[in-house]
Formats: sequence, C-alpha cells, structure tokens
Amino acid sequence: MDSRYEVEFKVRGDDFLAAGEASNQIKETLIMLGVPSPISRRASVITYEAEMNLVIHSGGGILRAIITPEKLTIEAKDQGPGIPDLDLAMREGFSTASDKVREMGFGAGMGLPNIKRNSDCLQIDSLIGKGTILTATVFFHQGEGNRG
Amino acid sequence: METGIKVLEGSCKGCVNCIKSCPTEALRVVDGRVKILSELCIDCGECLRSCREKALALDEDDWDLIRSHGPVVLMADPTFCAQFSHYWSPGLVRKALASLEAKDLFDQAAKAFDLAAFATARQVEEASKESLPLISVYCPAVVRLIQVRFPELLHRLVRTENPLETGTLLWRRQNGSNEGVILVTPCSAKVMLVRGPVGRGTSMMDHVVSVKRLARDLLAAGPKVDGTGTDPVGSRWLAWALRGGESRHVKAFSRKPLTTMAVSGLRNTIDLLQDLELGRLKGVDFVECRVCDLGCIGGIGNAESRFLSELRLSHQPVEWNVTESEKTELSTLYETGVWALEQPIQPRPRPSLADTLDEAMKKLKTMQAVYAELPHIDCGACGRPSCRALAEDVVRGEGEVTDCVFKLRERIAILGEEITSLSGKLPHAFHERKHAK
Repeated sequence: MDSRYEVEFKVRGDDFLAAGEASNQIKETLIMLGVPSPISRRASVITYEAEMNLVIHSGGGILRAIITPEKLTIEAKDQGPGIPDLDLAMREGFSTASDKVREMGFGAGMGLPNIKRNSDCLQIDSLIGKGTILTATVFFHQGEGNRG
Repeated sequence: METGIKVLEGSCKGCVNCIKSCPTEALRVVDGRVKILSELCIDCGECLRSCREKALALDEDDWDLIRSHGPVVLMADPTFCAQFSHYWSPGLVRKALASLEAKDLFDQAAKAFDLAAFATARQVEEASKESLPLISVYCPAVVRLIQVRFPELLHRLVRTENPLETGTLLWRRQNGSNEGVILVTPCSAKVMLVRGPVGRGTSMMDHVVSVKRLARDLLAAGPKVDGTGTDPVGSRWLAWALRGGESRHVKAFSRKPLTTMAVSGLRNTIDLLQDLELGRLKGVDFVECRVCDLGCIGGIGNAESRFLSELRLSHQPVEWNVTESEKTELSTLYETGVWALEQPIQPRPRPSLADTLDEAMKKLKTMQAVYAELPHIDCGACGRPSCRALAEDVVRGEGEVTDCVFKLRERIAILGEEITSLSGKLPHAFHERKHAK
C-alpha cells in the first residue's frame, strides 16, 4: 500500500562531470533505510552503469529507483537512438561509444553486462529512434527487518 | 565509542565553522557547544583545522605529568624526525631525546615498518586478480572512513597491523619489558591506535602525546648534539611520513612489479575510494590513501610546516636496496605472524532510520517532507551541517523543525497574524450594543 519509496533523477546527456551523482544519492538512501551493504553495493553498480549509459549514449534521460520491502527496482528511461542489436550490446567489450568518450576512460563495453551480472532480473525494451527503457530488479530476499 | 578529538567546552563559542568541515557530518552544535557523534567520527582532524577558537584538540595525555614520573620510552611516528632543521637525521634526534631522558624505539620502528612493507607485498602478490587493488590500513582515518562510508571495500584492506604497534610489540618481546610506551602522534587519527585500535583488542602502547607537544619541549630545551659517532638508523621507515612512501617501500619488497597509487588529502581520498567502489581502478595492485595533505607530515598534530618537512625528508638519503640478510630476518619474522591484525575489520554503518525497512521507509518519507519545507541554504544556524541533516535529526527525534531560524520566523509570522486578526474581533456584548443603536 504505502510501503513504497521512490526517487527520481534527471540525467543530462554528455555531462561527465555530474555523472555518478544520481547513483551516489540512491546508495545513500539505501544505507539510510538499512539495506544490507552487499545489496546496496550491487544496486550502486547498476545505477551507476545505467546512469553512464544515459550520459554516453542517449543524450540523457530519467533514472528512477523504486524501493519496496521486497525489492529494489531501477528504471532508466530515455528518448535516445535505441539499441539495434540487444544481444550484441550485452556482449562484454562491445561498445558504440565514440573515441572521445573512450579517451575519457568510459565506453569500455562493460555497462550492460555489469548491470546484468548484478541484477536478479533485467528487462530492456528498446525501439529504434524512439528510446530505451531499462528495468533492473534486485530482491532483498530476507524481506523485512533488514539491517546494514 | 571514543574519538581522538576532545572539545574544550570553555573555548567553544558555538559558531558553526567546524560542522561544515566534517566529511561524515559527525558534528552538531547543541546548547551553544559543539558535540561529536562518535559513531560517525573518523578522527580525520578536519574540524580542528577549521576551529578559530582552538576549542577542538587532540585528545592527548598530559606530557608534563608523564615526564614528571622519570625516564620515558617513546614510539615516535616517522614525522617526528622531520620536525627539526638542526636534528636532521634520526640519529641526531635520538641524541637530542636522550638529553630529555627519553628513550626512542627507532630501531624497532625501522624493523616493524620493513616487516609491514614485506607482509603487505606478500598479500598483494598472493591476492587473486579480482580482489586487487588492496588498500593500505596505515592511516586509521582512512580505515574508519571505509568502515563508515565504504563498507563494500573492507575486504580489500590489507591485514597488516600498524607498524608503530608492531614495533612496540617487538620491543616488548625483545626486552620482556612492561614499561609504559608513549606513542608520539602527528594526528588525531593515530591517537586512536592507543585509545581504541581497530582490528585488535587493546594496544601495546599506553599513552599518547602529540608530535607538536614533544617537539616544542625539545626545541625549548635545545640540546646541542654533534653528528659524530651517531648511530646509523634505517631510513626507509621515514618515507612513510610522505605520500607514496609506503607504496615505494612495498614495491621494494615485492617479487614482481606492482602498480601502485598514492593519494593524500581528504577529498582526494574520498574521490579515489568512490572510483574504486565503482570498479574503475582496473590494473592497480595497491592503493595508499592518507587523509592529510602531503601525507602524515600534513597531520594536525605536527609542529613543523608540512612543506618544510617534505623538503627535508625528500633530501634524506634512503637505502631502498634490501640486503639478503635483512630479507632472511624479515622472512622469519613474517612467518611468526607478528605483523598481522588480530581481528577482521568490521563495518561501522550509520544507524538506519528504523529497525524495519517498512518503518524506515515511512520515516524517510517524513524526512523528505520535512526537508522540502526547509530553506536548502545549509546555513548551519540550527547547529546541523545541512538542511538534510536537520531533517534527519527531526525524524530521529533529535531535533525540531523550529530549530531552523527560517521556520521559526514563519511560525512567529503566522502567530502574529493570528494575534492581529484576534485583536480586531469585538467582544460579544459590543455587537449587541451596536445592533441596538
């Protein structure tokens, strides 16, 4: 019913200086709630990589974290170019990032594989020219009463 | 829980300079005095630097009282040897200390630092590729910062005991002595090596005095010493006073080439740990962080300018080539395990808002609602470092919204309006008379 907590961040495209702020704040929120650190660690990897994808590939978008007593859901929504070949995008080392982005140390093609590795459930809906919605879920397992 | 910092109540004016400097938001001003939330404090000493009234100080023991009991044994931090222009080598410092009836443990320290570097090199060599980079535990404030803010990185900490502790242990074993040992500390973080060590039950050292206090005494006494016949003291350990010294030392003992990184300063440390947490430091084997600028010579408990200390130390000749006989001795000591921490280092997370996730979520919502109403200028007048911290204190039951001067003013304005509107109302009886006319 009321047991739901939501935070939302606008992520700007190509803003490499601010990148990481949203994921940092989501992590702080999880700590405040007493979510055990192995789970908040996985969550911060997912949020960080999703945030970076918004910064690098899609010209920005919305990053949302939804917390219920059972699970954490991270949603990244953009109106970017979409992902033409999802299987290829999930492969480690595959990236469409520009040379400029790579020079800054990003775009190593580890983003989506990292998200997949750290989430219990991952769904990606992408439409070419329209945008992408990524939904990653992490279950708390122990249910209520979690403490850090 | 203890901290390495004490508040001098009489000097505190209740200004809010210090609360803004704290990286873990561990300070509040309550009833006109600063209060340390010890469960959040990492002993970094930033608040001491920001206090103009000198109301915050290292929680050290009374040096004059200790000295009045006779000769003393000192375990001095490497920075101590960088405080003087005329006693420019450990051998000369030793001679000067002898005139104060103080015995130094420089030789044991030199050995313990060698051993710590040796043991750390072994741990890095033997670590699996995924667990690299390992992180140094030499700076106690960094260890506490990781316990409080980066618990996910705890498994990367090396298990090496602080060599100042190990050196004392070696001396006690060698001499079978129960004499009190005084740690000479350059910072508030190392005060905790004696007062509340992490990774071991109790310390082998008994008292703690700041480098500043002792250096001033030594300078005031000004013993004349000459360099002839001075004992040579190993110099590698002195390098640990500077950023990068530990990494250099670890490399000297490693059997394979290592990639190391060394940063100093609180902000740099936090940035680096954040990078590490996000898995961005691939290919790095060992990370050395110090919360003070330039390394331990930047510690708040030193007497000398950190820039002069750096200059002096960087001109000290250091013998980085370790002889075979030294290696054999260290390897024997390594096998005894005397270098290792007794206990694993545990996380020290900030207490969550409530016991159950459900309850915590409700409180978090209330907190956001409280926060939304605050002015968001983080003025500090409420005694909290930020509006967010006030909102958190309110839901934890440790404050009220009207602690905020802006909210208080709003309430007064509302009350004032109410009074005005009430004063315009006529008593019932008057209404009657009006009608009658």
